[in-house]
Amino acid sequence: MKIGLEIHVALPTKSKLFCNCSTEPIEEPNVNICPICMGFPGSKPSLNEEAIVIAKSIAKTLNCKIRDKISFVRKVYFYPDLPKSFQITQLQESIGFDGALEIDNEKTIAIRRVQIEEDPAKIIRGENYSLLDFNRSGIPLVEIVTEPDIQSEDELKSFIFTLKALLYYLGIDIDREIKSDLNISLGKERVEIKNITGTKNLIEAARYEIDRQTRLINKGMEPVKETRSYDEKERVTKTSREKESDEEYGYIYEPDLPEYNIENYSIKGTIDPIKKARELSDKYSYSSKTILEAIAFDRHALDLIEKNQDKYHFDSLMQAVTEIKRFKLNEIDDTSLRILIEEIEGGFQIDEDTIKSIVKHEKVRHDELESSRIDDEIRKFIDENPEVLKRYVKNKKLADYVAGEIIKRYKSKPKEVLKRTIEILNSMINQN
Amino acid sequence: MSSYIHEFESKVKPKDYYDKVYEELSKVNSRLNAFNVIIKPEQDGVPLSIKDNICVKGVESTASSKILRGYIPPFNATVVDRIFKTKRFSFLGKTNMDEFGFGSFGINCSKPARNPLDEDRVAGGSSSGAAIATALLKYHVAIAESTGGSISSPAAFCGVIGFTPTYSVISRYGLIDYANSLDKIGVMARSADDIRIMLDITKGKDPRDPTSTNTKITDLHHKKLVVIDELLDKVDDKIMSQFNMFIDKLKGLGYTVENISLKEIELSIPAYYLIAMAEASTNLAKFTGFKYGFKAEDFSKPYNDFFTEAREEFGTEAKRRIILGTFIRSASVRDKYYSKSLIIRGELIDRLSKILKDAFIISPTMPILPPKISEADSMSPVQNYAADILTIPANLCGLPHISFPYSYSGSLPLSAQIVGSQFNDYGVISFASEWEKNFKYKFKYNIGEI
Repeated sequence: MKIGLEIHVALPTKSKLFCNCSTEPIEEPNVNICPICMGFPGSKPSLNEEAIVIAKSIAKTLNCKIRDKISFVRKVYFYPDLPKSFQITQLQESIGFDGALEIDNEKTIAIRRVQIEEDPAKIIRGENYSLLDFNRSGIPLVEIVTEPDIQSEDELKSFIFTLKALLYYLGIDIDREIKSDLNISLGKERVEIKNITGTKNLIEAARYEIDRQTRLINKGMEPVKETRSYDEKERVTKTSREKESDEEYGYIYEPDLPEYNIENYSIKGTIDPIKKARELSDKYSYSSKTILEAIAFDRHALDLIEKNQDKYHFDSLMQAVTEIKRFKLNEIDDTSLRILIEEIEGGFQIDEDTIKSIVKHEKVRHDELESSRIDDEIRKFIDENPEVLKRYVKNKKLADYVAGEIIKRYKSKPKEVLKRTIEILNSMINQN
Repeated sequence: MSSYIHEFESKVKPKDYYDKVYEELSKVNSRLNAFNVIIKPEQDGVPLSIKDNICVKGVESTASSKILRGYIPPFNATVVDRIFKTKRFSFLGKTNMDEFGFGSFGINCSKPARNPLDEDRVAGGSSSGAAIATALLKYHVAIAESTGGSISSPAAFCGVIGFTPTYSVISRYGLIDYANSLDKIGVMARSADDIRIMLDITKGKDPRDPTSTNTKITDLHHKKLVVIDELLDKVDDKIMSQFNMFIDKLKGLGYTVENISLKEIELSIPAYYLIAMAEASTNLAKFTGFKYGFKAEDFSKPYNDFFTEAREEFGTEAKRRIILGTFIRSASVRDKYYSKSLIIRGELIDRLSKILKDAFIISPTMPILPPKISEADSMSPVQNYAADILTIPANLCGLPHISFPYSYSGSLPLSAQIVGSQFNDYGVISFASEWEKNFKYKFKYNIGEI
């Protein structure tokens, strides 16, 4: 099985790729527009250099070779969403090429190229009409093209997860539309599924297509070379009406833009969350996967771990991070964190009330029983549930259950309750 | 004083000056088709015309194409902004041209231009209207544009001075593109000094045109003139005999003249037309009939049929260049034609730059006298393109050049073209200034004389 991807991601620049229009998402159509992104006669593109810095950083993150000089081409085709009837994009002189992305310790996906291009407008289709919204026209995109190195659905998932995590740390809003073309072939011929929106659909489309092609092959048939599309509602891929032919885009150099020497353009400092997770895992003998899940799309979590790793036991710190994520605490100060970790280490359950107290720097209130009452309650519970004792003889772990029940009823110190439970159970066995 | 701009600015104008200019001009224009739009000036400045492919905010700009009828740009071209900012000029209107600049005679448009010196003859193109306006008005400058000779050709046929700068010296922002890597906005006037004034106002880096530059412009006065034999081979005998007399005159003025052979210069025509058509066919792709200019009405059609209907509005030459340009760009022949042409351009720039290090290249501007409109109409496309042989090399290589009359054959002017090295724009203007000290231009019309 061979899977290759062409992924389009919007870059987080303030203004569009070739004009000063805002890239801020806006509900009202045709507001962030000007003669340039509308392709008015006489208007000309001026390159937004912020886009180059980000694209160069992406290429670097994907371990690409970076070109010192880049240029642009016109890709000509007629479609109503394309104001100039050509898209300004890159071809041979793309910003990055020959990269690689490691998706787990063994597997690497080769990146063919990373290029900059402009987004077309948005078509809103009605029943018997189509509307055009040019707010999106000219938004900077990078297209990331992989080699067909992905060999399973799991690898595809892993690739997307890794890529998204890397992009997240470059400040790219991964919830914003990601559009992909998926090339997938189980047989001899390549099937291309075009224009899949979002990563969830991408994985579903791949799953469907793997299944479809497998069934064909099992029947002794060969999947044909074709372009398909993914139907989000029916969750199937369908043959596109467009003819399968070598596309003729009539490329020429974009004569309104000179060659740009980008050697001296900076690269945004970035963090590789995968490497970070591995480092922390090695240092604290903690599951790399769990760390990565915690930090992949959460810069705040990573900062918290890095800042506090020397102060607390790593297991407790990771538990605290889990609780912080669970209760969506966006900001947590040092004192609150200290109280939270004390609670965790005390074995207490963390609930809404606990969090409220922690945030206010209040000592968490526990309805503590006096030691003598703890004993009484344990004995009472055993009396009411006489089978407990019998089962405890066979299985000492039952003490945890008894202690758990007591802790649930009275917010006592868990360690002490467990200790007393075991002592009482043991003495009762001995008595019998 | 050899600047009409300065002369005009120093004179007291009658109160109804612009009314009269407007009236007279409108009258002549109905015969000659110099202007697509004439505007009665509101400001007390030197009359200024702008070629119809250069955007003026709020004024219909069609590049003489039916497909752009009704296009009113919401912005000024940078040249227009820079000129208006001086408050020294009065905007008189948009001048006629071959549709999108596609032509050498000014007849590829709905209202073919006529030569004011002989109204049966063409005015040259594509900046036909700019040249006619300059030939008509005593005090006036024209902002024109050249891709392959569109300033030199009509300037020569109408007997005015036409200056085309080094590519990148004057911003192209606001120019309705023909071939972006070749298009240059330039100036026509009745004196070289007026051209120098306009260059100073309009030149320089523009953030809205990334190909524009701030490179220092030089004023090198070379005494050596180079004649390329292969170019003169194409010139009419009648013109050659006059041109040789002009050369002798220049020798008398202290210039040395050297004849050289440069076989490769003949490749400039195919290279130019291949690049120009490839780029033009992409520039014209945007005209699909629903955002500006001509609007197709039947939205029920599939998109391909919809824009195909709109594109019926293009003239014959525009359609020819779209078809040829699209072919040239297609994957199967791109390397053979387009890529090779780019290499030839680079090669020619090197060759000419070496020649121009210590010299100017000189030639007649046009190989023929202005043909009758009926004659031009019956010329084949290839004959048409061949008429550009003398103007194309400098245009293909982005080199500064100036065309000016050196003699007259009856009422018709004979013009020469001086080509300078890259950024020696002042140098070629200075050459014309020097010439004007020894030669008086003849003008049939002097509308707006004070």
